Amino acid sequence: MQPDLKTTAHQRYTKIPSAVLLHVAWRNLINKKLRAFLTIMGIIIGIGSIFFLLSFGLGLRDLVTREVIGNQSIQSIEIESGNSKIIKLDQAGVNKVKGLAHVKRSSLTYTFPGSLKIKGSETDTIVYGIDPDYQGLTSLRLLEGRLLNDGDVKQAFMNQGALNSVGITDPKKAIGQEIQLAIPLQNVETSKKQIVDTYKVVGVIDSTSGSEIFIPRFNFEAAGVLNYSQMKVLADSGADVGTLRKQIESLGYQTSSPVDTIDQINQIFRFFNIILAGFGIIGMIVAVLGMFNTLTVALLERTKEIGLMVALGARNRDMRRLFILEAMLLSLIGAAFGVLLAFLGGLLINVLMNSLAHNRGVTEHFMLFATPFWLILAMFGFMMVVGLVVVYFPARRAGKINPIEALRRE
Amino acid sequence: MNKKVMIQVSGLSQEFETDGETIRPLQQANFSILENTFNIIYGPSGSGKSTMLNILSGLQAPTAGTVMFEGQNIYKMSRDALAHFRAHRLGVVYQTSYWVHSLNVLENVAMPLYFLGYSRRKAAKLAMLALQRVGMERYAKKSPIFLSGGEQQRIGLARALATSPLYVIADEPTGNLDTENGDKVMNLLLNCQTEFRCTIILVTHNMEYVPLADHLIHIQDGLTEELQQATALQATEEIIRDLRQRVAALARMKAKDATRP
Ligand SMILES: Nc1ncnc2c1ncn2[C@@H]1O[C@H](COP(=O)(O)OP(=O)(O)OP(=O)(O)O)[C@@H](O)[C@H]1O
Ligand SMILES: [Mg+2]
Repeated sequence: MQPDLKTTAHQRYTKIPSAVLLHVAWRNLINKKLRAFLTIMGIIIGIGSIFFLLSFGLGLRDLVTREVIGNQSIQSIEIESGNSKIIKLDQAGVNKVKGLAHVKRSSLTYTFPGSLKIKGSETDTIVYGIDPDYQGLTSLRLLEGRLLNDGDVKQAFMNQGALNSVGITDPKKAIGQEIQLAIPLQNVETSKKQIVDTYKVVGVIDSTSGSEIFIPRFNFEAAGVLNYSQMKVLADSGADVGTLRKQIESLGYQTSSPVDTIDQINQIFRFFNIILAGFGIIGMIVAVLGMFNTLTVALLERTKEIGLMVALGARNRDMRRLFILEAMLLSLIGAAFGVLLAFLGGLLINVLMNSLAHNRGVTEHFMLFATPFWLILAMFGFMMVVGLVVVYFPARRAGKINPIEALRRE
Repeated sequence: MNKKVMIQVSGLSQEFETDGETIRPLQQANFSILENTFNIIYGPSGSGKSTMLNILSGLQAPTAGTVMFEGQNIYKMSRDALAHFRAHRLGVVYQTSYWVHSLNVLENVAMPLYFLGYSRRKAAKLAMLALQRVGMERYAKKSPIFLSGGEQQRIGLARALATSPLYVIADEPTGNLDTENGDKVMNLLLNCQTEFRCTIILVTHNMEYVPLADHLIHIQDGLTEELQQATALQATEEIIRDLRQRVAALARMKAKDATRP
């Protein structure tokens, strides 16, 4: 039954299998359930509050970015002549820009203030002279009807804001209506003093920021307006935007891009998130103290046990590993539940906020909390690092326990 | 039959420095331990018996001298190699039982096997065999801390035997037990020698076990003395004579006390 002594030579120096050590670590945790529970609660609060606050910060940032940028492509560049009296955004300038490398698509726009008359009501409005390319480069959400097509001249679409200002709430009622536009052409080198014409409404878009009306830009060209208000360019890729902008600016134009805005928003929110994380760190301090206390008490309590294990043939470094494993177990469990609970809390608040907003007439669904995968990973990584730092001294001491002294002590 | 020398102790000295005072429990100890023998170390309390066992089990580097196991100086080994030597070659039994509190009996017995790199399943199998050897397999799933002293000591022996060690080192394993339980443990140790060909090194206060020894090592006042079996028996008789005289003296004292007004 018993193998012969001489043949059961366990020749290699083998370390304790990690699975075995993990089992022992686990047993040690559940042997002191209340203590483990309280320690893990501390970590849950610490990690949970950081995760909750950061996911709120990130969610808010995304929300603001989406609201400000809309669906504008980050590849797009807006070009204006600025206040320069010499450099105009005329056909020659436009051709120069179009000739630059990495320009994928472009569109030209006129922007003039004007007045709109519909069904006897009159209101001030901004009139955009656009081309179908503009519609491709700008995201416009149609509520009713259609956008402008290639052959259109005396057709127009308008935003809900313009309709609201003349007292029409149902966009369906606007389709097919005749509208009168009066567009004064001041400060423009042209023979005509103004454009006054009748257009037929073909569509309504979902925007309530002021009153806007869109007509084919041909109408402005026919009136002899030579300088465009704005040119929009789409670069081949986001990486080309920087150099392309520099080239355009060297032609004397002013450029702007959604990237500018995103940068600004990010900068503000970086600061905001640091403050939020700072609040979370307060919770983390509680977690760290609790964990340090637990591990130190465990070390004192189990000095004899560790001495025994070393006497029975464990290597000192295995005892260090055991303590590190126990700390990692606490960290992992705490981080997992912390992230989960913070996520659920965020979800709940999000649902509540959405229904609250819905009751006040906001149709759009929004996400107030962002939980990107990298943030979850970062929380786990962060807790692991914190766990390693906290366990450093207890583990070092566990690895230095002298078995004779440990077994001697009462 | 000439037996192989398994352990050779030469010029061994141990000093301790406590409160500016130097204690020298072991001075220039020389002895050898032969293969598959039953060795008993005895001597008065505080003479350095446990210190000797600690040195023999690789836990306490001596102040001077060498300890050679099968020709190899264990204090010249790397820390890891020495730890492996302990797990692989030695089975140690203590006077009081020490346990890892969070683990059950089977897992505690399996502990030295874990240190040899065994998986939990394989270690559990061998640990169960060891528990069967000491007749404690029924307690496998229990927590060791609630068992009786005798039961704990048998399980401690199972833990020492789990790795089938070549050497079994026991420091007063019967010290806390009544004679019945003490005899059980001694029986198991004898069984290790005869059936599993272990070399046994035992520290005991119980002089009645002295005749079991093939070889006696006497430690007193820092001096270590070796006695072979023949002399051992003679020594035993001396000890028993001493004991009789002591008991007689105690009885006389008691009688004298009783007559006092
Ligand atoms: N680590 C140590 N530091 C200082 N002194 C020590 C140390 N270990 C042992 N001693 C001293 O060495 C002497 C021998 O101790 P040891 O424990 O070996 O005696 P023992 O023979 O086992 O006694 P007992 O029979 O009572 O168990 C004692 O005087 C003890 O106080
Ligand atoms: Mg002792």
